[in-house]
Amino acid sequence: MAAEVRVLYFGAAQDAAGRTDEQLTAGDTASLRNQLISKYPALNQIPFRMALNKTLLKEESALRKSDIIAILPPFQGG
Amino acid sequence: MRNRYLVGGPITPILISELMTLGSDDTAAGAVSIFIGKVRDDETDGKRVTAIEYSAYEEMAVKAAEEVISTVRAAFSDVRSVIIVHSLGVVKAGEASLFLMVTAGHRDHATRACRHALEMVKERLPVWKKEIY
Repeated sequence: MAAEVRVLYFGAAQDAAGRTDEQLTAGDTASLRNQLISKYPALNQIPFRMALNKTLLKEESALRKSDIIAILPPFQGG
Repeated sequence: MRNRYLVGGPITPILISELMTLGSDDTAAGAVSIFIGKVRDDETDGKRVTAIEYSAYEEMAVKAAEEVISTVRAAFSDVRSVIIVHSLGVVKAGEASLFLMVTAGHRDHATRACRHALEMVKERLPVWKKEIY
């Protein structure tokens, strides 16, 4: 079942997507990742990770309505 | 301060002195280890960095900072407090963008826990930077 989720872009992913956030529909994180890369080819140049509801994804996961997915390029704090 | 862990702009000497008073009433803490990270004026392609603009996934950064603190406290039993503050927005070269402070009963855990917290902050805090030339 596909679900409408909120996608947040950070760091270089914001430049690649040309936006800070949007609503997208996907059934799971793997299909969302494919959708993002085909929509924004520049994302393919960034080794991004994803967080689902503020937790880093360790494996692909099903998506539920209103989930928040964050697109996270390598962290650069400090 | 945006919250306990993030502050807009540089971590000023005044803020540093305020942060250093946290936990100062804990008279069993015999050791305080502090790390301050500053913006470097690196040169790339003939251009010199004058400032860095930091951004963060703030809600996740709060959660990550809390995880760092609980992990460090669990790993170093002598630790009594851990303070983490990171800058957001523009920080000029020479100004501080990260403040870490660990208090402990004794020096060994204070210094090792501070180093461990620093490495975890670099690895886990969802913060990004944009160089300004």
